[in-house]
Amino acid sequence: MIKYLLKRLFWMVPLLVGISLVSFLIMHLAPGDITTTEAGFNPKASEESRQKLREIYNLDKPITVQYGLWLNRMATLDFGTSFASHQRPVFWEKTDPQGNVSKGLIQEALPITLLINVLSLTVIIAVALPLGIVSALTQNRPPDRAITLFVFIGFAIPGFWLALVLMYWTGVVNSWLPISGLHSLQYDQMHWLGKVADTLRHLALPVFISSLSGLAGIALFVRNGMLDVLHQDYITTARAKGLPENTVVYRHALRNALLPLITIFGLSIPGLIGGSVIAESIFAIPGMGKLFYDAVLMRDFPVIMGILTIGSALTLLGNLLADLAYAWADPRVRRGVLK
Amino acid sequence: MRSHSTSSVCALLALSLLLNACGQPETSPKTDLDRPYPSEAGGTQIDAMPAEPSGLIAMIAGESAASAVASNLFNSLLKYDKNLELVGELAQSWQISDDQKTITFTLKPDMKWSDGKPLTSADVLFTWKVVTDENTRTPYGADYKLVKQAETPDALTFRVSYEQPYAPALDTWAGLQILPKHLLEGQDINTTAFARKPVGSHYYQLQEWRNGERIALTRNPNATQGQANVERLVSRFIPDAASQFLELLADNIDLMNLNPIQYARIVPARPELQQKLGLYKELGNSYTYMGFNLKHKPFDDIRVRQAINYAIDKQEIIDGVLLGLGEPVASPYKPGTRWSNPALKPYPYDVARALSLLKEAGYQDHDGDGILDRDGKPLSFEILTNQNKQREMAAVLIQRRLKEIGIDASIRVLEWASFVGRYIKTGDFDVVVLGWSLSLDPDQYGIWHSSQQQPGQFNFIGYNNPRVDELLERGRFELDPDKRQTIYHEFASLLLQDSPIVYLFAGYGLPAIHKRIKGIDNPAPPAGIGHNSYEWYIPRPLRRNEIAVE
Repeated sequence: MIKYLLKRLFWMVPLLVGISLVSFLIMHLAPGDITTTEAGFNPKASEESRQKLREIYNLDKPITVQYGLWLNRMATLDFGTSFASHQRPVFWEKTDPQGNVSKGLIQEALPITLLINVLSLTVIIAVALPLGIVSALTQNRPPDRAITLFVFIGFAIPGFWLALVLMYWTGVVNSWLPISGLHSLQYDQMHWLGKVADTLRHLALPVFISSLSGLAGIALFVRNGMLDVLHQDYITTARAKGLPENTVVYRHALRNALLPLITIFGLSIPGLIGGSVIAESIFAIPGMGKLFYDAVLMRDFPVIMGILTIGSALTLLGNLLADLAYAWADPRVRRGVLK
Repeated sequence: MRSHSTSSVCALLALSLLLNACGQPETSPKTDLDRPYPSEAGGTQIDAMPAEPSGLIAMIAGESAASAVASNLFNSLLKYDKNLELVGELAQSWQISDDQKTITFTLKPDMKWSDGKPLTSADVLFTWKVVTDENTRTPYGADYKLVKQAETPDALTFRVSYEQPYAPALDTWAGLQILPKHLLEGQDINTTAFARKPVGSHYYQLQEWRNGERIALTRNPNATQGQANVERLVSRFIPDAASQFLELLADNIDLMNLNPIQYARIVPARPELQQKLGLYKELGNSYTYMGFNLKHKPFDDIRVRQAINYAIDKQEIIDGVLLGLGEPVASPYKPGTRWSNPALKPYPYDVARALSLLKEAGYQDHDGDGILDRDGKPLSFEILTNQNKQREMAAVLIQRRLKEIGIDASIRVLEWASFVGRYIKTGDFDVVVLGWSLSLDPDQYGIWHSSQQQPGQFNFIGYNNPRVDELLERGRFELDPDKRQTIYHEFASLLLQDSPIVYLFAGYGLPAIHKRIKGIDNPAPPAGIGHNSYEWYIPRPLRRNEIAVE
C-alpha cells in the first residue's frame, strides 16, 4: 500500500512539470503582455518606458529562458510577485524590513472561494441525494417526473440571468438580502453572531446559484446509479429474504449506488479552489475565479502560473485521493490495488 | 422521517433569522428630497468602482481605478478649474522665464501632510526624482525626463529648467501627484507598503481598505485645500455594471455612471426612480473615430477619405449608439474649451458630394454589380475594431451607409491585445474604429506628427502633413496660451480638411446621483460634474442610518 502511494506521488512530479510547461507556453503564445493593456494605449506612455518594463519583468527574454527562471523559483516554492497588483506576493504573505505585511493574492482569495464551494457542495449533497433517491424509487411516476423536470430546468437555466433576477427580487423589490459584496459597511461594529449572519446573508444567493447546476447533475447521477443497482439480482434477493424496504434501499442499494460519486467528488477537489468568474463578478466577490480572470486579461503571468500550478497539483492529489477512497470503499478495487 | 422534519424546522429557523436581520430602516419615504437644505458637513457617500486599484501611487499603478482614489488623497502643483483652465493647487503661483525654458513654482505657505509633517518644495523635488528614476516602473516618466535641472532655492520654491521650451510642461505638472519625501525616502517605490497605506495632502485620507471589497476615505484634518463637506467616501468594488445598477436602485450606493439605455429608457419610465435619482450629463473625455491607414490604397487619396466622411451620417450614429446622448466633434479637443475651434463643423451627411468625389477619384460602378470600382478593382475594405459594444455598433451603421453608396465594407472585431499586437503595431489594417482622449493639453504631437510612426508609436494611421508637423512643433515651444490657441486652431482645421480620420462622436458621461447629495453644479461645466465634489453635502435628515463613525 505504501509502495503504491509512493509510486503515485513520485509520478506526480513529471506530470506537474509537463502541465506547467504546457500552460506556460499557451499563456505566452497569447498576444500581448502586461504592457499592452488598453489603459497603456496612451500617447503619454512612451514605447521606451514600456520596453523598460518588459526588461524588468524579463519579458524580453526568449520563452525558454523565462520558463527556466520560473521553474528555478518554483523549485524553492517561490510563486513570485504579481506584475499588476503592486508587486503583491502571488501565494503567501511577505513581510518587508519595516514590518509591513503584504498579503498574498491567493492567500486572500482562496478562503473565500473555499467557503462558498464547501457550502454549495454541502447544499448539493444535502439536496441532490434525497432528490435522486426519491426519483429512483418513484421511477416514471409523478414525483420522479417532477424532480427530473426541476433538475433539467436547474441545469438549463443561465446562472447569471437567474442571479440578476434573484438579486432584483430579494434585494431591490423586497430588500431581504444584500445584493452584492461580502460584508456590510457596518460589519466591523457587529457582534460576532451578527457577523456570521451578515456573511451568510451575503453568501446565500452566490451559494444558491453555484449549487444549482451541480445539484442537477448529482441528482441525476444518484437517480441513475440507484436505478442500475435496484435492478441487480442481489436487491431482488434482499427483497426475497423479506428485508424491510428501508434496509433494502438504504443499506443494500444506496451504498453501492454512491460508489461512483467518490470519483466525482475526488475530481471536484480542484473545482473547490477554482471559483466561478461569472458568479464572482456579478456578486462582487473577490474569489479565485475573479483573480484568475483578471490576471489573464492583464497578462499577469506570475499569478496565472501560480493558480494553474496549485490547481493542477490539487487535481492530481484529488485523483489520488479518489482512487484511495474508492479502494477503501470497494473491496474489489482494493484487491486490485494491493496486487 | 423524524430527523427529516427536525432538519426542516432548523432550516426554517435559520432562514427567518437571516430575513429578520435585514430589516434595516431606510430614510423615511416622506422626507422631501427636492426641497433646499442648508449646506452642512458630515455623512457618508458611497459609490461603486468596477475594479480595485492595485495601489494608490498613481504613477506606478497607472490604471483609472487608482487615479480615481488617489485624486482624493494627493495634490499636484497645478490643477484644472471648472472651465479646464490651469490654476494653482499646491502652487500659489508660477512664473515662466522670458526664454520660456524655466518655470518657477511658488508653493502655498504652511501646508501639511495628513500626518502633520510640513509639505515643502523638497517633497516636490523628491517626487520628480522618483518619477524620472530609471528603476521606477512607470510608463509616464518621459515628460519629466525633459527637465534638465530641478532645484529648490527655498522651502516654498521649486524651479525646473528645460533644454528647450516645452509647452505641455504645465499640463504635466498638473498630472504629477506629489508624494511625501519623509515617508518614502530610501524605499523602493515599486514595492513600498506606502502604496496601500498612503499619506497625502488632499481632502481625504485613507480610513480602511478591505481587499476586494471597498476603500473608505475620511476627511483629512490637515487638507491643503480646505475642508470638504462629506465626512466619509466609500468606494465599493463591483465589477458587474448590472449589479451596480441594482445596488443603485436599492439605495445602497449614491452614484454611478449610467449607460444610455438606463439613462434614457429605464429611469424615465419609473417614477419612483425619478423621485430619488438626479440625472446629470457631462461631456466625456474621449471621442470615437474611424481612422484610415493612409499608407494603404485607396486611402492615400484625400478625395476617397473625404467622400467616406461625407457618406457617414454622424447624427444617426449618435442616435443609434448613444440614444442621442453624445455630440459630434470636429476637432480632437473638448467642445467649449479654448482649444476647440468653434468655426469647425463636422462633414455633413451628403451622399451626392461623396459620389462626385469618388467619381473624381476614378471610382464608378463600371461592371454594374452595385460596388464602385476603379481599374477593375472594387472599392472594398475591412473595418477593424476591438471588443467594445459602442464601437461595434458604430461600425455596423457605417457599414450600412457605405453599402448604400457602393462601398463594400466588412467588420472584424478583435480582442484588445491581438488587435494591437497583430494589426496596429504592424500597420496591417485598412480602417479602424477606435477612440482617443479629448486631451486637456492641446499638444498631440505623439498622435499626429509624421515622426511618430514606428511600431508601438501612436501615429499608426501614418498621417503626414508638413504644415501640421510644423504647427505641432511650434505648439510645443509656445507657452503663451493665446498664441498656442491660434496654432492649434489652425492644426485642427487642417486635420479636419485632410480627413485622415472621421470624427464619429463624443459620448456624454451620464452620472445618476441620489438626491440626498446636494450642492451639485447643474448643468455640468466642461470639467464635469465632479469638479466641485468637495462642496457637495448630505443634509442630516437625508443621511442613511449609519452607525456613527468616530
